[in-house]
Amino acid sequence: MSNKIRLISQIALLAAIYWGSNRLVFFTGLPIPGNVVGVLLLFGLLCFGVIKLEYIQDAADFLLKHLVFFFIPVAVDLMNWGPVFYKYGLELALAIVTSTFLTFFFTGYATQLLQRGKNRCRN
Amino acid sequence: MPELMVVFTIVLTLAAYLIFRFLYMRYRHPLLNIVLLGAVSIITVLIVCKIPYQAYVPGKNIMTSLLGPATVGLAVPLYRHRSLLRGYAPAILIGVAVGVFTSMVSAAIIAFLAGLPREVVLSLVPKGVTIPFAVEIARIHGGSPALTSAFVIATGTLGSVFGGSLLTLTGIKDPVARGLAMGTGAHGQGTAMAFIEGQQQGSMAGLAMTLAGIMTASCAPILIPLLL
Repeated sequence: MSNKIRLISQIALLAAIYWGSNRLVFFTGLPIPGNVVGVLLLFGLLCFGVIKLEYIQDAADFLLKHLVFFFIPVAVDLMNWGPVFYKYGLELALAIVTSTFLTFFFTGYATQLLQRGKNRCRN
Repeated sequence: MPELMVVFTIVLTLAAYLIFRFLYMRYRHPLLNIVLLGAVSIITVLIVCKIPYQAYVPGKNIMTSLLGPATVGLAVPLYRHRSLLRGYAPAILIGVAVGVFTSMVSAAIIAFLAGLPREVVLSLVPKGVTIPFAVEIARIHGGSPALTSAFVIATGTLGSVFGGSLLTLTGIKDPVARGLAMGTGAHGQGTAMAFIEGQQQGSMAGLAMTLAGIMTASCAPILIPLLL
């Protein structure tokens, strides 16, 4: 029972941070999503010791374990977009395949170059 | 009876999640994508039962109410790996920045040249980023959250099926580089594959996934007006 109360209060704390971040975005007019600000805010609060890992980690681990669940209802909206895939399927596939492979290659290549440079400095 | 419909859609969604989660956990195959298979089966049930999308929306709003707080929780793994983050700061920051730039610019240019409508192009730009960030970025800049979620899943599936072989073929062997590429290029799905390769690759991919989201969100307001 106390486990459940702890989990719920931890979720409430995460929700409060999310709500605060959205308010911040709303009042400043920043063109950045509230959840991105929320991650940065919580990371900052953890680094400065304002929030201890124990205050939120059970809720964070639980919600992140099931994060994929929340994406399903978002994706159901696809039933309204059938014609787009029918009409532009080939172009979309081309853009996604090319761009994904380029991203993998350039990220990996740049990092490997930096890592080699680092190892050479050490030797 | 709208209340009954809300209960029905929530039970339906939970059932789809549990079934495909069970299958994925059992076989661990990247094509057994929980979101895609879950959404497709729900859409099939809705169409067969002649239920309009609008009837699904109230249940959807209840179910996604915890998505925001859950996403904020991504700060926890970031904090747990802060020593890794500090130890590899230049590699991580530059590697992810290169990846984010490549992903956004190449997707926008190809989609634009292929003559896709503006709303579709805008939905493609954040395709490499994890869904909660990607759908918000798309919404802010005039894309469609639903299209973006589909593009994100397509990217993640492609990256998790072929990404590892592509890196091997192109001579990228360094575990840090492989992890960062998988997390930046294919978000959570890439991260799952990176963890199968090894602990270091997986942790790096997880960090890269969250940082790529933050960087994409921060660059989008500058890059999107320049590109489109």
